[in-house]
Amino acid sequence: MSTIGIIANPASGKDIRRLVAHASVFDNNEKTNILQRILLALDAIGVDQAFIMPDYYGLGPRALDGIRLSRLQVEMLDMPTTGTDRDSTEAAARLRAMEVGAILVLGGDGTNRVVAKGCGDVPIVPISTGTNNVFPSMVEGTVAGLAAGVVAMKVVDVNRVSYRAKRLEVYVDHELIDIALVDVVTSSDLWIGTRALWNPSQLREVVLARAEPGCIGLSSLGSCFQALGAREEQGMHLRLGPNGVQVLAPLGPGLVTRVGVQAHRLIAVGEEVRLQPGAGTLALDGEREIEIYGQPEISVRLTQDGPRVVDICQCITEAASLGFFCGSPIQKL
Amino acid sequence: MAELSKDKLRWIYERMRLIREFEDRTAQLFAAGKIPGFVHLYAGEEAIAVGVCALLTDADYITSTHRGHGHCIAKGVDVREMMAELYGKATGSCKGKGGSMHIADVEKGMLGANGIVGAGGPLACGSALMAKVKGTDQVTVCFFGDGAAEQGTMHESMNLASIWKLPVIFVCENNGYAQTTPAHYHCAAKDIADRATAYNMPGFVVDGTDVFAVYEAANEAIARARRGEGPTLLECKAFRYYGHFQGDNMSYFSEEEIAANRARDPIEKFKKRVLERGLMTEQELAEIDAWAKKEVDEAVKFAEESPYPALEEVYTDVYVSYP
Repeated sequence: MSTIGIIANPASGKDIRRLVAHASVFDNNEKTNILQRILLALDAIGVDQAFIMPDYYGLGPRALDGIRLSRLQVEMLDMPTTGTDRDSTEAAARLRAMEVGAILVLGGDGTNRVVAKGCGDVPIVPISTGTNNVFPSMVEGTVAGLAAGVVAMKVVDVNRVSYRAKRLEVYVDHELIDIALVDVVTSSDLWIGTRALWNPSQLREVVLARAEPGCIGLSSLGSCFQALGAREEQGMHLRLGPNGVQVLAPLGPGLVTRVGVQAHRLIAVGEEVRLQPGAGTLALDGEREIEIYGQPEISVRLTQDGPRVVDICQCITEAASLGFFCGSPIQKL
Repeated sequence: MAELSKDKLRWIYERMRLIREFEDRTAQLFAAGKIPGFVHLYAGEEAIAVGVCALLTDADYITSTHRGHGHCIAKGVDVREMMAELYGKATGSCKGKGGSMHIADVEKGMLGANGIVGAGGPLACGSALMAKVKGTDQVTVCFFGDGAAEQGTMHESMNLASIWKLPVIFVCENNGYAQTTPAHYHCAAKDIADRATAYNMPGFVVDGTDVFAVYEAANEAIARARRGEGPTLLECKAFRYYGHFQGDNMSYFSEEEIAANRARDPIEKFKKRVLERGLMTEQELAEIDAWAKKEVDEAVKFAEESPYPALEEVYTDVYVSYP
């Protein structure tokens, strides 16, 4: 019995960066279409069952309205919803307990962060439907569905087609309070507010798990010094300020601006970075999440305890090399 | 985020508390049969009106809805005149002729509450066009609800505002229900902000129970409008404590929903955060609570002691001149 979990965030791709940058709206009709294409791909290759997280928009029921599936049984996860990011963590934990073969995640860095809190060792297939995304790929849903399907059906060895993501653990006064998958940033903004970061003058320190030159956001800032991919066993710590080197970086869609970098250094897996004290907010994977009061001791540790992530291209290539898509061996010309 | 001074934080709390006090008292007075007509109460949505109006001056305009008391108070309309208006007294904001759903105070830039759902959009385009033609930096904020979002007037207004790059901020107060119909039933898009793409304007969702989030979002949208770059659609997700109108038994609310709403009360959230930051003290907040109560006490006394309009007043303030 092959089973798949699907967690789709109806709230991703809709924040203030539509106004302060030039991000486009990732509307829920498009997410519904992506979900339909995923389900059709899962059905086509013979996955038995899929469970979809319920949400306020009803992405799952809407996706099922208008497609015909021949084999795939689709059910909504039976769980209470809050309409917050806690739903994604809860859904991931339930799917893990149900021992699904893989979890498809539709959302941005933030969605994957909260899924990572609950999914354990279940491999995830992240599809970008957010804004400044580093962690999930901008990939066609059909292909992502095929990749998740061949993992769940055990056509391929998941260890050969996936990698263990890095994880940034955030400690306040030595207590683990949250995690991030891409970056942890301290901001002088006192309030969480609209969550997004776009004003470089308010950023103080950045800890990166990845420094990706092909992405936008603070990950790209780090890549101006050294690129660090998802599988490299290093991260980066940057201290920002107006007197530093003025680095031109794409902080958001259409938002290419100078950011003052006073110092930067690589950090190793296992290393803990202590951040400078001060009132403000902590942003995790691009969103202000925690308001800091008083003078707590804040540190960030880079680990390799993140979720197992399926490399979609590698996965499809592996399945193809095994003849999975041919049905029967074919003769070479 | 734009800096929030101590004075501004104090103003925000004063206005939110004054709205809550005014609405809770109005509920009691209406139940006691002292207020004629209908009242639609704003309690629970205070962070939206206050977070937006904190960035406006008297020269800027707002258009409102049938649930307009909060907008009036946030824009600085006198609560004594408002209460007198609810009582239908001659000292009311509109001489007692408008009642709850038609309070206006043009001097304060409050262009009127409105009994017609979705009627504020065209008015907002009108005042914004005036500002654009005159070359002022005035902006107009159009408050409307999730029910109004389905009205043709709002679609036409957002389309027109975008074509002409009018300085309007469309603030959708999505409290989850159009009268008694849940938003998930009446709104195909679910997130009304999604429609902004079709109007070729920026649109996004913000937590309407978090005054800091509303303030930050409105600050950017208002700045864009003042720069002449056109309108923005801001959808504030919130809730209301009272029914659609007083007398609505709210049978469509579950106990769980009511409890969840109480847990995200905008005033309590504000208090908790300014106290934790040490930006305001318990005593300062308590003094403002007492001030708000006193303001509403005086407003009620003023309204009850005021006269009704004279009979001849029925012929004035109308479009036809009577001999």
